[in-house]
Amino acid sequence: MRLIARYAKELQNDFEIITVYEETIEKELVSKEQPKIKTLAKKYPAAIWFERKMHDDFGIIVEDAFDKRPLVQQERFPKDIHPLRKDFTNTQLEETEYIPYKYEAISGDGVFQVAVGPIHAGIIEPGHFQFSQAGEDMLHLEVRHFYKNRGIEKMLEGKTLREAKPVIERTSGNESIAYQICWRDIYLQASQQELPLALKKRHALLLELERVIHHLTDLGFIPNDAGFGAALAYGSKLAEDARRKMKELTGHRFGFGAIDFENHFIDTATFSEWLHELEESIEFFEDWIMDIPSLWDRFDTTGILSLKKALKYNTVGVVARASGLSLDRRINSFYLEHGFIMASEVSGDVGARFKVRLQEVKNSITMMQHFLEEDTSTLELSSIHDGSYHTFTESSIGELFMAIDIKDGVIERFFVRDPSFMNWQALHLMMRSDIIADFPLINKSCDLSYAGNDL
Amino acid sequence: MIKFWNKRVKHGVLTENIELDRELEKIKKEIQDSVKKKFAGSLAIRMVDSGSCNACEAECNALANPYYDLERLGIYFVASPRHADVMLLSGIMTFNMTPHAKEAYEQIPAPKWVISLGDCPAMQAPFEKTYAINAPAENHLPITHHIAGCPPSPLEIMQGLLEFLRKI
Ligand code: SF4
Repeated sequence: MRLIARYAKELQNDFEIITVYEETIEKELVSKEQPKIKTLAKKYPAAIWFERKMHDDFGIIVEDAFDKRPLVQQERFPKDIHPLRKDFTNTQLEETEYIPYKYEAISGDGVFQVAVGPIHAGIIEPGHFQFSQAGEDMLHLEVRHFYKNRGIEKMLEGKTLREAKPVIERTSGNESIAYQICWRDIYLQASQQELPLALKKRHALLLELERVIHHLTDLGFIPNDAGFGAALAYGSKLAEDARRKMKELTGHRFGFGAIDFENHFIDTATFSEWLHELEESIEFFEDWIMDIPSLWDRFDTTGILSLKKALKYNTVGVVARASGLSLDRRINSFYLEHGFIMASEVSGDVGARFKVRLQEVKNSITMMQHFLEEDTSTLELSSIHDGSYHTFTESSIGELFMAIDIKDGVIERFFVRDPSFMNWQALHLMMRSDIIADFPLINKSCDLSYAGNDL
Repeated sequence: MIKFWNKRVKHGVLTENIELDRELEKIKKEIQDSVKKKFAGSLAIRMVDSGSCNACEAECNALANPYYDLERLGIYFVASPRHADVMLLSGIMTFNMTPHAKEAYEQIPAPKWVISLGDCPAMQAPFEKTYAINAPAENHLPITHHIAGCPPSPLEIMQGLLEFLRKI
């Protein structure tokens, strides 16, 4: 069974611990007086972050956990505060005494520690990487994040689904459409309605466009991190063109506010023409890049994630598919009918992740052609029913899981597991045979979200 | 590789629609002139993300694409605050990032300026105040200029930088 998520919810007298697997969802009640659970981390290493987060958020004690350090709460965060509890209503915290975080470290003769972050060089989100080094060789890496934690889960409590939308779509700017589609699915479930096919196609088109923008940017940045700047100029030009298309279609360069229940006019002829041009450009790019041996010297065998580890750590998205895992939420009749083909590589290295992105861009172009339709149908929404709802969307990074509980018409608990939350936990496995100078390249080839991870 | 050079020779410089091109050219020229005058031809920016959704950073990255090509005008994003003249601050100033953003500011040698980028630092984005948010950023750092938008487009960022250059 694949672990997808593990999180808690506060009830009257108990906490409900919800564990989401591929096929089932397990629920367990623990009393608020004695909130103790057992760890799943022995079987599922990726459960650690979920459990540490649960402790920070609610004060739930994971008795037999081998890692009891805080995850979301950092050095200056007031102790003994569990902000996701309902009785916590403070909106202004005071910094408390600095208590250093104990990083995992390997020690020994000549072994030294390198700390990077939270603010990195260049234009990039904040996070922290702690390396144990023997000369150039990376012996160990600990990823430490949550600098961007905005308290989104708490922020959305007490709001209607409509009120929550502008925040949900800004959880992770690169995956805005994917987040909105999750929101849409939950709205539909709660109002017990079906989406008309034309709207489904429009939304799917926008999701693929978002994926293309994200991948094109990476296809430029990955070679750039291996010292080949010309690819960045090419990739970023194509990404900019695609971003302008997003603006043309939705009125916003990132598609904020794009997913609604109204179909808007698309000039299909011009859009289709642009898709053709993009297809040609991407074929040219592929020919060009595949032909540069010095680049593949850097890509091949760098940052390997074996299939076994990809499975063990429950990785998702591009990272999983580059290691030979056939995992994509788009395997369903709707997508298959519109030309979806699962991208797949087996070598699990930077080169494989690069090639998966190339395949996916080409496949998205094909699908977008099939999703194009002139239609102006709308869906009249009926009222919302209370209940627990969850859904999945394949974002540009991977499988996105969202769960929303609605009580008395407003959000009671909002939970999201970004694909990055799984993949960040596997990043340290990818650098066992590489040197520290390879790290930026390996990190870029995964291109994970900090904002979506941190919430 | 031959194919690449053929294409390179055939297409040359990227042009946009004429109207936008003219506007962009005008802005670019003025930016270049004031960077020359006020920063001896080179303005170094240290980007600090204090809790964004990453769209603001994506637009800053877009400034380097062949359409906008900001570096050509003498504006550089630098890797260390010690090399910077200006801090460009995005994001909602989370509780967890506040001490780090302040420290980055300390590290910039004087004279120095802070430009806030996007609606987040001004607490104008659609986020509500929680325990985890310390915005507005002006409570923590002296902000000289603000570039609004969610996110501001590359063109708006260039306009904003120009306004900043006129202001100081
Ligand atoms: S201002 Fe808007 S686009 Fe920029 S970081 Fe904030 S939410 Fe994202």
